[in-house]
Amino acid sequence: MNLPSGVRYYDLRQVTGQTTLIDIDNGVVESAGISFFNTALLRVLGPHGWGILEIDNFEPGSKQKINGLIQSAVRLAAITQQDVRLADAPHRALAVPRMQEDPKNIDLEEKTRLLSAVETAAKLPGIVNRRANYIERIEQVRFSDSSDTEFSHQICRSGFNMLAVASRNGNVQMGYERMHSIHGFNLRHKEEYGKKAAERALALLDAKHIKGGRMRAVLDPELAGVFAHEAVGHASEGDLVQEGNSILAGRTGVKIGNEQLTIVDDPSLPEFGFEPFDAEGVAVQRTEIIRNGIMNSYLHNRETLAAIGEGIPGHARAMPGEPPFVRMSNTFIENGEVSFSEIIEVCKTGILLKGSRGGQVDPGRGIFQFNAEYGYMIDNGECTEMIRDVSLSGEILSTLHDITLCGNDRAMHPGYCGKGGQSVPVSDGAPHILLENALVGGRGLD
Amino acid sequence: MAWIEQLLKEGAKRVDEIEVFYAKSTTVSANLKRRKVNLAVASDDCGLAVRTIRDGRIGSSNTNSPERWRECLKAAIASGDLATPQSWKGLPRPATGPATDTLCFDPALAVEPENASQLLTAMMEGSEEHPADITSGSATLSSTLITLANNAGLYLTSRHTGVSVSLEAISGQSTGSEFAQSCFMDIDPRSVGERAAFFASHSVGGQDIPSGIYDVILSPIAYAELLSAVYIPALSGRNVHAGRSRLATLLNEQVLDARFSVYDNPLLAKGLGSALWDGEGVPTRRIDFIRDGVLKEFAYDLRTAYRYGKTSTGSAIRAGATGGTAIGHHNLIVDGPRTDITKDRAIYIHSVIGAHTANPMSGDFSVEMSNAFWMEDGSFCEPIRSAMLAGNVFDMHASVAGLSREVRQIGSLVLPSIRLSGLRVIGK
Repeated sequence: MNLPSGVRYYDLRQVTGQTTLIDIDNGVVESAGISFFNTALLRVLGPHGWGILEIDNFEPGSKQKINGLIQSAVRLAAITQQDVRLADAPHRALAVPRMQEDPKNIDLEEKTRLLSAVETAAKLPGIVNRRANYIERIEQVRFSDSSDTEFSHQICRSGFNMLAVASRNGNVQMGYERMHSIHGFNLRHKEEYGKKAAERALALLDAKHIKGGRMRAVLDPELAGVFAHEAVGHASEGDLVQEGNSILAGRTGVKIGNEQLTIVDDPSLPEFGFEPFDAEGVAVQRTEIIRNGIMNSYLHNRETLAAIGEGIPGHARAMPGEPPFVRMSNTFIENGEVSFSEIIEVCKTGILLKGSRGGQVDPGRGIFQFNAEYGYMIDNGECTEMIRDVSLSGEILSTLHDITLCGNDRAMHPGYCGKGGQSVPVSDGAPHILLENALVGGRGLD
Repeated sequence: MAWIEQLLKEGAKRVDEIEVFYAKSTTVSANLKRRKVNLAVASDDCGLAVRTIRDGRIGSSNTNSPERWRECLKAAIASGDLATPQSWKGLPRPATGPATDTLCFDPALAVEPENASQLLTAMMEGSEEHPADITSGSATLSSTLITLANNAGLYLTSRHTGVSVSLEAISGQSTGSEFAQSCFMDIDPRSVGERAAFFASHSVGGQDIPSGIYDVILSPIAYAELLSAVYIPALSGRNVHAGRSRLATLLNEQVLDARFSVYDNPLLAKGLGSALWDGEGVPTRRIDFIRDGVLKEFAYDLRTAYRYGKTSTGSAIRAGATGGTAIGHHNLIVDGPRTDITKDRAIYIHSVIGAHTANPMSGDFSVEMSNAFWMEDGSFCEPIRSAMLAGNVFDMHASVAGLSREVRQIGSLVLPSIRLSGLRVIGK
């Protein structure tokens, strides 16, 4: 293809679609409506770096119009200095999994009624607030580049969050349940989520604080998934490695964790972080970041693969109309061989931590933090008292050696991951794991 | 704009009231990878939000395609049909006073890639004062025109400009970052670079500390992170009436040390959130949330105020370019007697990792410290390698040992450093 002068490559990614949001707060339908959007991103690689245009309300037009936009991007690229190179990468699009029931075929009124049933199910004595949200986002993505790659797909992500708040004598606690999927409408007969959120909030009123310190911790699949995401996933992102901002830089082939430990990011997996092709039209595939304790592969886009190698491309992701960078998709710890009850038995004395309130990492310093929704003390191989507000923090490199058991019950949990001001859908997962020497933060006293 | 008039007219035929919010902005930004500019981005964004009210049913929709305003109007009305009706006493009518707000507008701020480039260069120069490598950085310039109109005759415009820079640096395995933002072309990018490199280089060789109870100084950044996660949502009238605020039942009670006050000053000179009216066109005013330690007021928008028989405090905020309204604040200020809080030895914490994982209901948090140092006589002494800080955002305000003389704007917060006694630190 003939490229305009001063242009080495360009691509255009347009996303159109609509968002349906329903918000029910203590029985009141606060809002239930549809919004729609159309946005595009044109990236042009000039003699040095990128010139990028974000174009709201994009209408594909004549060749002349595109050329005009390319020239605007070239002018932006003129201030760049870094010599960006792009590695060759295979282009391929996967099929988007078929939905069992397309949310588009269900009217807003029925969705509101079903969400209301979930919210009402949380109406238990002692519950002072119930809030339920339904979120459905349909995106049509069209990608084309200067090498004649052209792909498009449509994907719908939908699901709901349920928050219940319990209060007693100034003690306020919350229970949170959520369910999000790419497999179609998932709001029917979900009352048990409302009830579970309420029961958790009530139970937490009587949970105790623990005194922080070093101890043995068993992490449930959701929290262990967040651990994989925060402690390993981010630090393996090729852009951070390239910037010199990752503790995992220069460690491929090095044993950095217990040999039972294999951590994978796989955008091709039909989970919430699924992408049929990445934001550069590159084929997505399973990427083993750590294999049997050995640092194996970074997550890359074409630019970071060319700059540092040692990994697999297909990990460029972006919010509609935003510049793509390297992101995780579906990140998980592979199954080991032991059962949950064996892990608790081996742990003997420690804590079991469940659910996630999120986490954060400083990949350059190699320090992470994440927080459990609740947990239980483990005494003599038995789960006992309920505990609340427990965080874990640690150093990536030492902690990976401290994962001494991986269960055989891996499960994935959907969520959103923020980086550089952009939030993208992801899933995290793991089996139950045993973590030795966990640094646990709690505000309890002896 | 003719289409806005037409939209108001069409809407008024079909519902009791209609409101249009339209924002159009131009932004340029440039990013550093190590010491070189890697990319430059320009964007022209627009966002249209339509709100309709019919028989107390509030409907809304938004789009970034303003020429699709008819669809947007239709979607707003359809959404109102499903909303639970509530008490509603009307959108604001036009008031006397200016129809254009330029409190946050700097005509000299040019949204040009070359300016972004210069800001990056200045940050890099500043960073050279300490031995640290730059990992990434960015500079952004923007200009926005907002139109807010309703069929009661209100037609307001506001102009905003903005500049922001940030830099991340590393020295060995110690990281440091800094940022600055302003509505005016008055930021000091050199000092942002210098501070980022200082925190990275000065944190090298940090030592562990034993677990225990310590005096802690939270920088305005660390303080802002914890306040945003926990305290501020509890001041929202919506959360108060919904049972999601620990402060809900404490009106007119002592909730802070009696020397301290928390208030919103929407007219603060050069405030990042300064505004003559809020996101619904209600004139803004000072809100004394906590005066001399006593909880006096919560924040209300029209919807929440009408529902609970209160008056709007002018606290409606528009979230994002296409966002609807939510309750927020303009320039939230924590104030009280100022002293030198750095004289006696304490742990200084520049920022924290994981503030968003705090329990927003109870206020409990346990977070990892970032760029923590021993501080004495105003100086940064030995760095602390790694430790967690645990406490409760509500309760810790009962043991405030002092506020620093200097304040800093962090987004729409204006905060001093705060010294707290008796906080739990979990060391290694």
